[in-house]
Amino acid sequence: MSKNGLNYAYYPGCAAKQIQKEADWSARAISEKMGIKLHDMPKATCCGAGNLQEHDPAAGLAVCARIFSQAEEMGMDICTICNTCLQTFTFANERLKNEPELLEKINEVLAKAGVRPYMGTIDVKHLIWVMVDDLGVEEVKKHVQKPLNGLKVAPFYGCHALRPHEVFNGRGGQAPQYLDTIIGALGGESVDYNGKDKCCGFHTMLVQEDTFLKMSGGHSLEAKREGAEIMVSPCTLCDMALGAYQARSEKFLGQKIELPEMSISQLVGTAFGLDHKKLGFNRLHQNPENVFKSRGVA
Amino acid sequence: MADTKKVIFKIHRGETVQGQFASRTEEFEVEYGRSTTVLQALESIKADQDGSLTFRRSCCASICGSCGMVINNRSRLACKTKVRELVDGVADKNLPASDVIEIAPQKNQPVLKDLAGDISNFYEKVDTINPYVQEGKEADKQVNKSSFEQVNMVSNCIMCGCCYSDCTEMAASPEFLGPAALAKAFRFVADPREGHKTERLKELSEKNGIWDCTRCGMCVDACPKDVAPMEAITKLRTRAMEAGVTDNPGAKHAIAFKNDIAKAGMLNEPMLLLKTLGVSGAIGQLGNALHLAKKGKIPSIFPHKVEGVQEVENIFKELDANPIEVETKQEDTGPGAG
Repeated sequence: MSKNGLNYAYYPGCAAKQIQKEADWSARAISEKMGIKLHDMPKATCCGAGNLQEHDPAAGLAVCARIFSQAEEMGMDICTICNTCLQTFTFANERLKNEPELLEKINEVLAKAGVRPYMGTIDVKHLIWVMVDDLGVEEVKKHVQKPLNGLKVAPFYGCHALRPHEVFNGRGGQAPQYLDTIIGALGGESVDYNGKDKCCGFHTMLVQEDTFLKMSGGHSLEAKREGAEIMVSPCTLCDMALGAYQARSEKFLGQKIELPEMSISQLVGTAFGLDHKKLGFNRLHQNPENVFKSRGVA
Repeated sequence: MADTKKVIFKIHRGETVQGQFASRTEEFEVEYGRSTTVLQALESIKADQDGSLTFRRSCCASICGSCGMVINNRSRLACKTKVRELVDGVADKNLPASDVIEIAPQKNQPVLKDLAGDISNFYEKVDTINPYVQEGKEADKQVNKSSFEQVNMVSNCIMCGCCYSDCTEMAASPEFLGPAALAKAFRFVADPREGHKTERLKELSEKNGIWDCTRCGMCVDACPKDVAPMEAITKLRTRAMEAGVTDNPGAKHAIAFKNDIAKAGMLNEPMLLLKTLGVSGAIGQLGNALHLAKKGKIPSIFPHKVEGVQEVENIFKELDANPIEVETKQEDTGPGAG
């Protein structure tokens, strides 16, 4: 299923490079442990996050095609840890692969700009897809040194790795359960709650802050009500909404949430027995140490 | 019936008693065959087990849009959804396998009785966008064949309300116009005969309009007719910015990306805030910024420049000099589209 062994052109996204650095650190650390080789893309720009694509759709496609071309030159698929990057890329890749005339037009622009043309041969994957589909969950299990001992984990999937389900070729929508599979492999127990595949509200943060805080805080409260001791997300933007902004949601909603939230890579790293500092625990707004201790995952 | 199996239907029912809505859940065992639809199963429950079960239905052919309801946690048409596929699971149709079929009324609107909701808000919102071609100075008398490529998909709407029911923005902000009304609005903005395109775009850019959509994609998955409302909302945003309707945080935010990518390749997140909200708005964000700063989460205002960023500038320059049209997807053209 993988193009080039377990070698990937690694695209952490702007949030992981600037604000959610812990997601990047832990993704690199667990990948190293699992033998997934993440290769940097020094020429890769921001994907446009759907915003550039709205403002200037042709430029949005060309910027993505330029990034795909770099991965193609490296001979690798792209692996990302941000859902919005994943969806923005997937939208572009789907069109460039299926519309030969469009690909030709975009390649003309790339050529004039001095960029290698894109041949339409790469796939864009999330790290959690790589872990389950390319590496295999049995392989993941082999690296577990500190099983989660039934820790109740609320998976928060994030819209942009799920919908529209058609573009994700069976990897999105309601049916696949990547986070649940990984949580189970680590010895945790997945908590089912209505909000797990809903919207964290991140993309309305600046346009309507109240709605955003109501959404993100609401999901965390619900997960906690259903027994969650911790929440994880595969998306750096959901991490920000549900973790970094949790105290803001508490203030807006007028009630405490106190549900530690972290990137799925940080949870995997914990079960792999990696150093919590290396996983960036000190950057989390809700300290998860006591939760892990209470389950004997210290 | 030789090839039939049995499955439990767990139905969320309810009615108003003395001014209070009283809900309950009831289970019914249903026999189903290869082609049994959820609607047929509900009809059999009503005929053989409980005649008081209430739901809307009419055409049984996904045309009338009456039988939209929540089926296993997603809004779908009961007449278009097969029981067997819900039980077995079909990844292509976004159906996970399930032992029990759970049926509930549509969300984001009040329930009248059992599975029948009060859909008046949904209709009123569609009405507020003036769902007809208006005379005016921007009207074009000539209609090209290619004009249909834009309105084909959005004209397919059967007003079933599935998108409205699954909309995550609506759940948090009930005044939002919603996916169906906005997709309908795009149908008129994209119609060459429409006389007030810019005025429409101005109105749609206001609160509860196009910029309030979270882009969660629920409406695209929910729509049984492939209208893809979120795509229509995205196109409305593009057209609004093209028409110069940019004096709002949503448009300012979107526009800021291009400049950042051309300059450094990466987002300049502190400047993004300033460009989106202006100085006074950004000051309002100080609380959030200080909160993030506690954990070292304040990005540099001089982000690291990516290699070869000149290439991106070249791309933008080339596209400015020789624009290319990418709005129409291949699947929206030709026979069978729309």
